[in-house]
Amino acid sequence: MNLRLSPVLFRSNSTAAALAVAAAVMLVPANLLPVLSTETSGYSRSDTIFSGTVELWRQGLWAIAAIVFTASICIPAVKLVGLGWLLLSVRRGVPRDSRRLTRTFAVIDFVGRWSMLDVFLAAFLSGLVQFGEFSTVQARSGIVAFAAAVVLTVLATNAFDPRVLWPTQAQASPRSFQP
Amino acid sequence: MGIDAHLTCRLCGHEHRQIRLAPGDRALCARCGTLMAAEGRFGPDAALAFSITGLILAFPAALLPFVIAGKLGDVRVCRLFTAVGALWDNGMRALAVLVFLCGALLPVALLGAMAALSLPAGLKWRTVEIPFLPRIVHTLEHWAFPEVQVLAVLVALMKLGDLVDVAIGPGFWCYCAMAVCVVLAHRSFDFELRDPAPVHRGTAAAP
Repeated sequence: MNLRLSPVLFRSNSTAAALAVAAAVMLVPANLLPVLSTETSGYSRSDTIFSGTVELWRQGLWAIAAIVFTASICIPAVKLVGLGWLLLSVRRGVPRDSRRLTRTFAVIDFVGRWSMLDVFLAAFLSGLVQFGEFSTVQARSGIVAFAAAVVLTVLATNAFDPRVLWPTQAQASPRSFQP
Repeated sequence: MGIDAHLTCRLCGHEHRQIRLAPGDRALCARCGTLMAAEGRFGPDAALAFSITGLILAFPAALLPFVIAGKLGDVRVCRLFTAVGALWDNGMRALAVLVFLCGALLPVALLGAMAALSLPAGLKWRTVEIPFLPRIVHTLEHWAFPEVQVLAVLVALMKLGDLVDVAIGPGFWCYCAMAVCVVLAHRSFDFELRDPAPVHRGTAAAP
């Protein structure tokens, strides 16, 4: 067997399912708690992920609002729904639409990293905007929960082994058998 | 070593024999359609060149000012690690470590690992004797997100708008170039050829 394909110790579907459930749980505080608080000359506001996106939309920054909405709300949801679908599909043996499910996994694997956008955004803003009483941006607890959810979804994706979507060598036709 | 010359699909595990690819050709897995190998347009040493360029760019990216912000005469210079420091001081230490790892340390580690694996075979200290290095590259690619941080900084600059006056510094451009190098090096990097199997250059997969 090829070296890099030898199974990683914790790679199993039950691990992937557990990590995906943990990520779903962490998404609740991530979306309910504020992620950023802004203070500008006596005016202060706290934003959750969703209200921050709405505020961007209200300011007329539609493209930016769409990017943040996609990265912070759509991608985590799509990842968890997709992983759930994959895990349910393999519960009763090898699924019939293996090729489509493998493409789904490849998409989930590819888009996952972009949900880190909000974490970098909050970190950068809180590092940059520190002007004492004139203007201050502070990262709040929601972003920690969100970062935890993102890390857990990446771990869940890595734990899922897409080879279970396909028949093993023994089940496959003799043509593809390599002695 | 017990490793044969078959290529195995990264996702579905289907095995293929090797064929020669023309420049610009791509080989897809016959069973699941995943990209298995591509003969890059930049030539065989592209991964090494991009990795070393990225490693060199990492220094100015870390040291030069990222963004210069001004508010009522007060000027603040923000570097790559300012955000990490702010989170750390704010008590969010785990988050600070995560941002440091995903945005700075792991991209550089990925570049270093890819450069080490792409060194010409003639060199005495070539890394064939470090068999776990390909797997390290595989792990790092899931956790190094420089391009996401580039987008985050651009979004932040748009979002700040009239709150403060901002100017982009040279550090950010170096960081952008480093992120591009990470992506291009990773694209040009051929995992199959870096495994310690007796495989020749310019070969790839066929069913």
